[in-house]
Amino acid sequence: MTTPAAGGAAGTGDPMRQLFQKEMRSLDALFGFLTRFTRAERIDAAASYAIALAVEEFFTNMVKYSGGQGNPVLVEALRVGETVTVRLEEETTAPFDVTRPTQTQFDRPPLERRPGGLGIHIAKELLDDVQYDFKEGTSRITLIKHLEK
Amino acid sequence: MFTITVNETGVIELTGRLDAAQTERAREVFNRLSDSAVVDMQHLDYISSAGLGVLLATQQRLAREGGKGLRLVHMNKMIRDVFRIARFDLIFTIE
Repeated sequence: MTTPAAGGAAGTGDPMRQLFQKEMRSLDALFGFLTRFTRAERIDAAASYAIALAVEEFFTNMVKYSGGQGNPVLVEALRVGETVTVRLEEETTAPFDVTRPTQTQFDRPPLERRPGGLGIHIAKELLDDVQYDFKEGTSRITLIKHLEK
Repeated sequence: MFTITVNETGVIELTGRLDAAQTERAREVFNRLSDSAVVDMQHLDYISSAGLGVLLATQQRLAREGGKGLRLVHMNKMIRDVFRIARFDLIFTIE
């Protein structure tokens, strides 16, 4: 379930924002939101893919691991010049950094690997920066992608 | 939207977006495989780590059972980049 989009005059540099229930079935609506944003901002296919993948990986980690099941996640997307910033925010009682480095098992034989940690690794490779902060009961993940000119 | 079908020649065709909400549908098909299969990704627009996990689990199971595994064909450049970053190009035959 989602709430209607708020704000977001496309192409003006204003952010687009939408609240999403923290559950897997929100993914369709989340992709819809991101598609509207990347189309409005004329972001190319490769960068749009990178943004969508990163948002999915961090959002699903929040669903699975960050607790606070009843709290929605606010997603805000903004393009300023050649930089795209996407923030995911939720109210939490304690810091829980889903962006922290994880074990990717690249040192294991390929057919013995487990996929844990893989999504965050891919997301970080596709983005230019990932930040986490916790302030006044709000966890905030900030994803930054620089666009090629 | 995501669809997974097996065509008349046994090729598995993936279409659309294979994200974390779609893995069960994919797993149902891949769990029925034995020995080997060709997976046609020509119309697959997107895959995330959740979809990669389904492919990895299938490849591992087929290897344990002595099968030849999955052959992935017609992958677009963005998905190929994701496979390279994940080092899945070392695990699958990609054409």
